Amino acid sequence: MRFNEKELVCLSRQPSEMAAELGMRGPKKGDVVKRRLVKLVVNFLFYFRTDEEEPVGALLLEQCRVEREDTQTFSIAFLDDAERKYLFECDSEEQCKEWIDSIIKASYEFMRRNLIFYRTEIHRLTGKDPLEQYGISDETRFQVNSGSQLMARDTSSL
Amino acid sequence: MKLNERSVAHYATCDSPPDKTGFLFKKGERNTAYHRRWFVLKGNMLFYFEERDGREPIGVIVLEGCTVELCESAEEFAFAVKFDCAKARVYKLAADSQAAMESWVKALSRASFDYMRLVVKELERQLEEIQDAAGAGGQQARPKPQRRHQVARSRSGASSSSSSSSSSLSSSSSAPSMTAVCSAPRSLQDEAQLVSGGSRENGVAWSKAPARAPPVPPRRFGASLESPVSPDTGCFSKLHDWYGREVEELRAQWLQSQ
Repeated sequence: MRFNEKELVCLSRQPSEMAAELGMRGPKKGDVVKRRLVKLVVNFLFYFRTDEEEPVGALLLEQCRVEREDTQTFSIAFLDDAERKYLFECDSEEQCKEWIDSIIKASYEFMRRNLIFYRTEIHRLTGKDPLEQYGISDETRFQVNSGSQLMARDTSSL
Repeated sequence: MKLNERSVAHYATCDSPPDKTGFLFKKGERNTAYHRRWFVLKGNMLFYFEERDGREPIGVIVLEGCTVELCESAEEFAFAVKFDCAKARVYKLAADSQAAMESWVKALSRASFDYMRLVVKELERQLEEIQDAAGAGGQQARPKPQRRHQVARSRSGASSSSSSSSSSLSSSSSAPSMTAVCSAPRSLQDEAQLVSGGSRENGVAWSKAPARAPPVPPRRFGASLESPVSPDTGCFSKLHDWYGREVEELRAQWLQSQ
């Protein structure tokens, strides 16, 4: 699958939510823990060799599960292959909690759910749709019921 | 650079709702003809398939940081997705009609994570103010200057969110509880000032706040101080007046709706 790598590398240089050197282990059998500079930018987790400018790789954080593995370790697994886990070793329990928290909130889907929640609540309390002033009230992504939309494509894998 | 491509491709076809879908013509890289592709926009990712029933996308354009422009082209209803980085490729696309083109341009311009984040923060702020106004129980007086709930909340923000979210480990939890709301301080003003590896606390704007700390309110979810539409936060009285005015308006609206 093609992707715009240059632009993604450029994105990795933007100011980040969180960045730290962590021990990182890939999901394949035989992968070992390596020190990586891990950087969270929007819904991507970039990881760099500590002295390099260009990231070794990027993980899109949509449709993923973040779990605490032990006091200082967390894992990220993607829903299409939940057994393959990326492991991250932190320096403290506090740091581990912070990372888990940040990654959970780093998805577009998470924000969408929050937005729908706030929109519904504000409407319930005031009778007004807060998105009207931005002219975005009828965008599909902000609809309360958009989760029930099924794409025709969903059945093609059955 | 590696990417978790298989999972990204899965995101394209999983049942999370797409923001927009449709056919567009895409100008090829080497072969400069326009090819008709099926496009699926999800969040800040624009996937394209060879055909509508394609099981896997042939490619994806990460839209974060892009600008969308109409462009001069032999092709009708053409527009371009551009990036502000060195040697970036320009993606030329064309729709079937004027309406479709305008709709895509609008959708793609607002597809960034940052834009979504600003909207969410703004709504979060509005909801807080409505709830505070409701909590004031019909008091007519203006809120006192000391009632700087955002300040105290931003200080307790980091700890309250991390303690509350330790129980919500899965990103696929359904209804967002108030305590799980994002307390990340990012706003356009903050971006340049975040320190890597540093705290997520929104301390930046409030380093200019008055020295006397306000009384700590009942702890609520960790809301950010920053609002995308707030005035320059350097001047405290201006900020206070602005917040005060907003609260007045919202309270009036709320009282009217009772």
